[in-house]
Amino acid sequence: MDNYILTLKNITKEFPGVKALDDVTINIERGTIHGLVGENGAGKSTLIKVLAGIYQPNAGEVILDGKSCRFQSPIEARRAGISVVHQEIKLAEPLTVAENMFLGNLMMKGKLVDWAGMRRRAQEIVDELGMDIDVNAQVSSLTVARKQVVEIMHAINNNSRVLVMDEPSAVLTDRELEVMFRIVKQLREKGITIIYISHRLDEVFDLCDNVSILRDGKHINTLPIGEVDRKGLITMMVGREMGQEYPKVAATPGDTILEVKNLNCGILRDISFSVRAGEVFGISGLVGAGRTELARAVLGIDHIESGEVYVRGKRVHYHTFSDAIRDGLGLIPEDRKLQGLVQIMSVERNTTLVNLRRVIKGGVIRKSLEHSLSEEYAKKLHVVTPSMDTEVQYLSGGNQQKVVIAKWLFQESEILFLDEPTRGIDVGAKAEIYRLINRLVEEGKTVIMISSEMPEILGMCDRIMVMHEGHKMGELDAAEATQEKIMALCT
Amino acid sequence: MNANKATTLNTKSVGALLKDWMSLVGIAILIVVFSIISYAKFGAQYFLTWSNWKNILLQSSTVAIVALGQSIMLLTGNFDLSLGRMVCLTSCVGATLMVNHNMAPGLAIIIMFVIGLVVGAVNGLMVAYVGVPAMIATLGTQYICYGLAKLITQAVPIPNMPESIMFLGRGYLFNTIPFCVILMLAVYIIAQFVTSKTRVGRNLYAVGGSREAAFFSGINVKGYQFGTFLLGSVLATFGGLVLMSRLNSVAVTNGQNYEFDAVIGSIIGGVSLAGGKGRVIGTMFGCIFLNTLFNGFSQMGVDPFVQDVLKGIVLVLAVTLDVASNKKKS
Repeated sequence: MDNYILTLKNITKEFPGVKALDDVTINIERGTIHGLVGENGAGKSTLIKVLAGIYQPNAGEVILDGKSCRFQSPIEARRAGISVVHQEIKLAEPLTVAENMFLGNLMMKGKLVDWAGMRRRAQEIVDELGMDIDVNAQVSSLTVARKQVVEIMHAINNNSRVLVMDEPSAVLTDRELEVMFRIVKQLREKGITIIYISHRLDEVFDLCDNVSILRDGKHINTLPIGEVDRKGLITMMVGREMGQEYPKVAATPGDTILEVKNLNCGILRDISFSVRAGEVFGISGLVGAGRTELARAVLGIDHIESGEVYVRGKRVHYHTFSDAIRDGLGLIPEDRKLQGLVQIMSVERNTTLVNLRRVIKGGVIRKSLEHSLSEEYAKKLHVVTPSMDTEVQYLSGGNQQKVVIAKWLFQESEILFLDEPTRGIDVGAKAEIYRLINRLVEEGKTVIMISSEMPEILGMCDRIMVMHEGHKMGELDAAEATQEKIMALCT
Repeated sequence: MNANKATTLNTKSVGALLKDWMSLVGIAILIVVFSIISYAKFGAQYFLTWSNWKNILLQSSTVAIVALGQSIMLLTGNFDLSLGRMVCLTSCVGATLMVNHNMAPGLAIIIMFVIGLVVGAVNGLMVAYVGVPAMIATLGTQYICYGLAKLITQAVPIPNMPESIMFLGRGYLFNTIPFCVILMLAVYIIAQFVTSKTRVGRNLYAVGGSREAAFFSGINVKGYQFGTFLLGSVLATFGGLVLMSRLNSVAVTNGQNYEFDAVIGSIIGGVSLAGGKGRVIGTMFGCIFLNTLFNGFSQMGVDPFVQDVLKGIVLVLAVTLDVASNKKKS
């Protein structure tokens, strides 16, 4: 018993009409990194919220260090030593790093706030972690990765015994990840127990000592990471054999459909490349390499300083994004929630948003036509939704992404830029997105995929362009490309 | 889990329907309550009579016309605090030209609309293209409009509008229905049609729902925002024109607080403060609701000073309901 710092015992949590957690029991060993995996909707988030005192379970108990606890609020959980680093960063942006680290836990000198003491202590923590962060810097000036480190430091500073990290890697580049891993391992050395949630299974294997699998609100298994392989883990997560993770089909590329010559725009310097119809063209590189900027420049969102863009052999000058859309180009943006969809609009209306003309007759939107046409696309793309009138905010990440893709299929775009198409999407839904990419290609469409996930780029693309700090570093054929070759080019 | 949550929200609950048509339900309740009180107090029906209702609708019409612009701006996630003073400025200019300078009303009206459009364009440029917060930009133009109106008229009321514009505010159709009520109905029916049935309308909702997502769907987000400010100014000028005709005089108090009454009317009518939700036609009912309430109170002999307090309470209640129902969903 003493071996376990935390036991979640027979936890059940019901919401109206759904059992989010069904009699879940998980033991977590002291001083380990404990992975928690499962598809979207498996109950990971609910479990974390129970642990953090945000939800109160209908049944079961949380046992921390042998003591049964019932946290009524996040503050109680934090006082007991459980901190959560959420997926979305929750820091006071205008305050400094040090101020954020002591948020809700100010150091006092008598009746006054001890700023000097706090800065000193903050610096100590930064040094301990071997980070190079100015404790007096405004948080808003930091990169996302560093903000996340500040969140972790905030948690450590709270004398947390259990640190829950909810998909910390979703927004990090590979190099930033290494730093994050190092920090997490350091924390383990210090005796802090870490619960690590991730969709990226590689990380779970790299980092975790034990792993628990949840599916449909039920605990499937908990076992040492050494006793399971990738395939076995995925099978437990999705409850069936998955087949191939990257179901790439061989493309038969046609003529050159998009050509960019010597493009300069913002950080982009002298970029040239060409893409053939029916190809999946990958753009790889670290965050900040200028990949999204390249898409924006080609699509007329940002103004090109110099250089030429040819579509179907014809020189084009797009002044606005809608010029590019009319010409058959489309963009599935990296921020699905904010940029991809109008969250408070229905599945139906999001689907038809770009090409409403298809359902307009005589200047008037024909509701029944809109309904039947958009439903056709939702079916084709296997969008799981209670109805076409459901607002997209209630769909899972994978289904939301399918609606974004449906939107551009509805527009009948021929050349699609996919910017981080599977970010934050679980394994099962990812495979579906890949299969969709295949279908696009089979229908003769051209896909330009920007991704930070190396395996995905390697698994899905025909050719890969590698970028670094606004420059094109090289181009690789799928046959010859390896992770090492790409890394060598992009750093 | 997400899917299940959505199922429960999918079929519209009675509560949601009630919220959608809150203003109509409110009007119905007011009618019942005030007619009963009227009987109880006076032994006769003074509230539910055509002449009283003609009054209520007359009073609602001008503010409702201005409120239409406001509610379309709310739909796109903006609002305009200068609308009321725009009513004031344009009608002061119009009256000065028509009455003091004997200008032909047609020409004066054109000048009114030009001035309104200039103010709307300034608001729109600042908010949509420069990125000044709507509250600050339109607060500034509100003061500018009011100041100019006072300068032009020296704050002296101008009575006796020309005969030729009288039909707007004082005319009747078939000698029974006030012409300005017809105008109100007309602009609302057109607006409701455009916002619910056309591409422009759908794009307005998209812009209000998420500027970023609308932009990445190829919608000219800035252009749409700019357009709503222009439309708001046109409707404010039009409302001002109808008001000066109805009152047969212009003073710098014309249109005072219209922008806020418009917000209250919109919210009671079910247009969300957060943008992207609601029906514009609801705003008309929201404005009628407010006027019904105050008409009833006046008949009951409630102190007019108390009425402002009540207006505040109605606003706070409506916004609370709006915010609470949005919160429940997210």
